[in-house]
Amino acid sequence: MKKAVLGLTAFILVATAAPAMAHFQMVYTPESALEKAGPIDLKLVFTHPFEAGHTMKMEKPERFFVVRKGRKKDLLDTLKPIQWTSLTNSAAAYEAEYRLRGMGDNVFCLVPSPYYEAQEDIYIQQMTKMVVNTAGFPTDWDAEVGLPAEIVPLDKPYALWTGNVFRGVVKSNGKPVPNAEIEVEYMNHRPLMAHNAFAQQAAVEAPQDAFVTMTIRADADGKFVFGIPRAGWWGFCALGVGPADEYKEKELSQDAVIWVQARDMK
Amino acid sequence: MFKKKLVIVGVLLLVAIVPTPVLAHTPLCSCYEGGNDTVICEGGFSDGSSAAGVAVRVVNEDGKVIVKGKMDDFSEFVFDKPEGPYKVIFDAGPGHEVEIKGEEITE
Repeated sequence: MKKAVLGLTAFILVATAAPAMAHFQMVYTPESALEKAGPIDLKLVFTHPFEAGHTMKMEKPERFFVVRKGRKKDLLDTLKPIQWTSLTNSAAAYEAEYRLRGMGDNVFCLVPSPYYEAQEDIYIQQMTKMVVNTAGFPTDWDAEVGLPAEIVPLDKPYALWTGNVFRGVVKSNGKPVPNAEIEVEYMNHRPLMAHNAFAQQAAVEAPQDAFVTMTIRADADGKFVFGIPRAGWWGFCALGVGPADEYKEKELSQDAVIWVQARDMK
Repeated sequence: MFKKKLVIVGVLLLVAIVPTPVLAHTPLCSCYEGGNDTVICEGGFSDGSSAAGVAVRVVNEDGKVIVKGKMDDFSEFVFDKPEGPYKVIFDAGPGHEVEIKGEEITE
């Protein structure tokens, strides 16, 4: 009996130690609230944003599109492969140029190919949303896109002051996910658009590991709230919420990611 | 009788008041070249309200209306790009007009 308990404890320790690595799929552009429409550059990078650490190799994504005024535009063919340099390595990523039109919310959505994480022996697929607004005209930011794993925002992801809260609802095939586990990370190293690399300089220093990847829980209705302590980009990743749990006979974690940008009042 | 009058006054007041909040929001309009010598204009209100049905006029140098129409269900209006100088007027009511000069409308 005692042995069984010990065995179980050891198993739990091993099992819970693994997900501590916070992978984050980035869909990045420097500015999410623009006065006017025009061309913007986007970088798609699968990385560890707080530490600008180990960056994972991206395969050609399954889907990449933008939604504005409820109309979907496929952008998969506009993706170009790049090499993204982190502080510790360099890996395959993608970039795209997109010409924003008119006014409103442009909800960029990425469904990457599942990534095999050898350390955990699982596949990870992070369905990622990032919203760029033009002219302050709200159109689609709060709409559900219909991704299998999705965070639906309750606050405009591009109109946050430092100190505001960001709220969202975690959904799996459109249904709220009670008590979903959500990882939160600050983009602590500025992405250098021209160099396809993270800046060496970190913005802040974490006092301890729990501040690198902050883990929070959604409530019984799948809703979460996070107070934003600093200007910049923040990523939210709800773990394993999508309906599919197997890929190539391995465990699959379908995660839902959203990025928000906060600004200082000055 | 007195009550009836009050109700009528109330209804009139409501009718008078209800449209005001919509107009209180800033009208927005943005135009760009849509290819094949067309121009696309998108309208809306700063609170996100649709501009479907809002009147749009395109006038030439002399102020003569050369194209006239309404924003569609997507709050958009498409017209053929005029030859000479022109101006687009998004007309959401008195004091709520947005004017965009043709030379500012680019790709």
